[in-house]
Amino acid sequence: MLKQSMELAIVQEGAVVSIAVKGRLDSVGSDMLKARISQLIESGTTRLVIDFGQVAYISSAGFRVLLVAARQTEHTNGALALSGVGGEVRRLFDLAALTEMFTILPDRAQAVAALANRDR
Amino acid sequence: LKKPTTITYAVDDRPPLVVTVLSGLQHVGIIAIVLVFPLLLGREAGLPADQTSDILGTTMLVLGIGAVLQSLPRGGIGAGYLCPPVCTAAYLGPSLLAAKTGGISLAFGMTAFGGLVESALSRLLRPLRPYLPPEVSGLVVVLIGVSLGSLAFRNLLGIGLPQAEQLPHFSVAAVTLGTMVGLSVWSHGGLRLFCALIGMAAGYAVAAVSGVLTTADLQTVQSAPLVSAPGIAVHGWSWDASLAIAFGVAALSNCVRAIGDVTICQKINNADWVRPDMRSISGGALASGLTNILGGVLGGHGVSTYTSSVGLAAATGVTSRQVGYAIGGIFVVLAFMPKASAVFLIMPAPVIGAATLFTSAIIFLNGLQIITSRLLDARRTLTIGLGLIAGVTVEVILAIADGSSTWLRPVIGSSLVFGTLVALAFNLLFRVGVRQHVEMSLRADAHDPAKVEEFLRRNGALWGARPDIVNRVVFGAGQLVEAVIEHGNPSGALELQARFDEFDFDLRLSYEGAALELPEQRPSTQEIRDTDAGAMRLAGFLLRRNADRARVEQQGSRVAIWFLFDH
Repeated sequence: MLKQSMELAIVQEGAVVSIAVKGRLDSVGSDMLKARISQLIESGTTRLVIDFGQVAYISSAGFRVLLVAARQTEHTNGALALSGVGGEVRRLFDLAALTEMFTILPDRAQAVAALANRDR
Repeated sequence: LKKPTTITYAVDDRPPLVVTVLSGLQHVGIIAIVLVFPLLLGREAGLPADQTSDILGTTMLVLGIGAVLQSLPRGGIGAGYLCPPVCTAAYLGPSLLAAKTGGISLAFGMTAFGGLVESALSRLLRPLRPYLPPEVSGLVVVLIGVSLGSLAFRNLLGIGLPQAEQLPHFSVAAVTLGTMVGLSVWSHGGLRLFCALIGMAAGYAVAAVSGVLTTADLQTVQSAPLVSAPGIAVHGWSWDASLAIAFGVAALSNCVRAIGDVTICQKINNADWVRPDMRSISGGALASGLTNILGGVLGGHGVSTYTSSVGLAAATGVTSRQVGYAIGGIFVVLAFMPKASAVFLIMPAPVIGAATLFTSAIIFLNGLQIITSRLLDARRTLTIGLGLIAGVTVEVILAIADGSSTWLRPVIGSSLVFGTLVALAFNLLFRVGVRQHVEMSLRADAHDPAKVEEFLRRNGALWGARPDIVNRVVFGAGQLVEAVIEHGNPSGALELQARFDEFDFDLRLSYEGAALELPEQRPSTQEIRDTDAGAMRLAGFLLRRNADRARVEQQGSRVAIWFLFDH
């Protein structure tokens, strides 16, 4: 059992919901994130931003949750965007050869704006 | 390879023919500046103009073949990148020494020997890393700059010239050096790129006006045939064991340079670059060695990879290996055009002095930058300090070797050789007691990742490990423990060990349970999403890619997973 060391802050901005992740996105954190994303999608959210500005670590479990979330939003004709992916976390996305699989924008405001303007 | 956005034509691309040829000419332009080295060798050896012209022609031929060898994408020879060779100052000093003691044939024989040493070293680069640390590589480059600079000043000052010839000599030197320095500091674009060539052209012009360049010199160019084969292997070869160390150090310096240059090639061609590819680096060092064997056998000057050419490729965004083939073709054509060699052949001594001084200053600073890029602890400070003082002492007290025994003379008669050997000896001595080792026990049922991270970062800082390596180690440990707890079904404690010795950071986790797979290929996104096996294989893939080397060992139910990070 891993000790939990992650926090989530959820903000609704128009049709877009952003989740700011803080801490380590390891297997424990990933279970928590996965549960919150499922709740949001079940309650009708289709446009989702996950902000990595305060994430120091992402493991294979974290990448798995992101891939699942991308498919879930795709199935609801929505979209997923990531923001704040820099430094060590960016290196890990490149290491996993998964950078190209996601829409990544520099910061949360740009990511929210991009999803808000989608299909307008 | 993922092409970076700054690169227009990457290593595997085929640019249009015009782009390929023009890029090739640009590289030939900056490589040609250092053709002053074979010219210096011929002059200092007292060869007549036609024989010096042969050395120039043969060197161009060898440069052409070397450019093609370095570009070869497979076969184990060549870096596989646009990484053309250039005449190197590392071979100039030993070659001058050889030419003075045993004639030009000795310089060629020993250059071939240096090539053999380089070729052998190219196969041993990985295990040799602890004995060739970057700061010693930097010192070698600094000493090349020092020895080249002192040679340059001799040519620049025109020591021993009659009074009447001194003013025109200084005028040519001042205009040449002033143009090079001025354009390098205050201009940009093409002028800056070709500042050395433009400075040399200005020097030629002033030399023609002031009479330093004589009518006889101009007639040499005029009378040189347009097309003719250079005199190849006309001087023969000889061997002198007492010079083996001097040429061995030159070979070592070339290998060090190949490591740096090929690494830059890899980085500029791949946006996903993570770490040096030692196969390509060894291929690059081998190509350099083979080129020098060929150069020695045919009668050309020693060469090495060229950082400025790699920089030019990055700056222009054209790094295609097709340009390497074009450079090879252009140099081979020039080798058979004695008129082109003759232009270099008549280069006035003050122009040579200015060009060499300009080059030596840049080489010197490059070396200093390599040294200061490392955290200089007491061991490194003493290693570099003592090596530098030893080298500079030889340059200051030129007669230092005169009273020594014959076998010692080539060692303490060269600043490069003496300084490098002193630094290598102290580096070897100071390796005693450098290996550090710590371990901690983890519980799978109550694992706190923050404690492991704090433990690794604290010890990494104590050992002076580079932050980027510590980040990789921290991720490796976190992902490994997490994957073992999730997928390895561990029972009992997990033992984590970290070892460090300045060149390697090792991480080892041992436990009772199932082994993890560390695949070379990433599982598909569908596998990762839909199956636990896919998630486990992604963890293994990340772990393998994160480290420079990885190994899984299993004895009964005891599993040990080991990662090595080159430092």
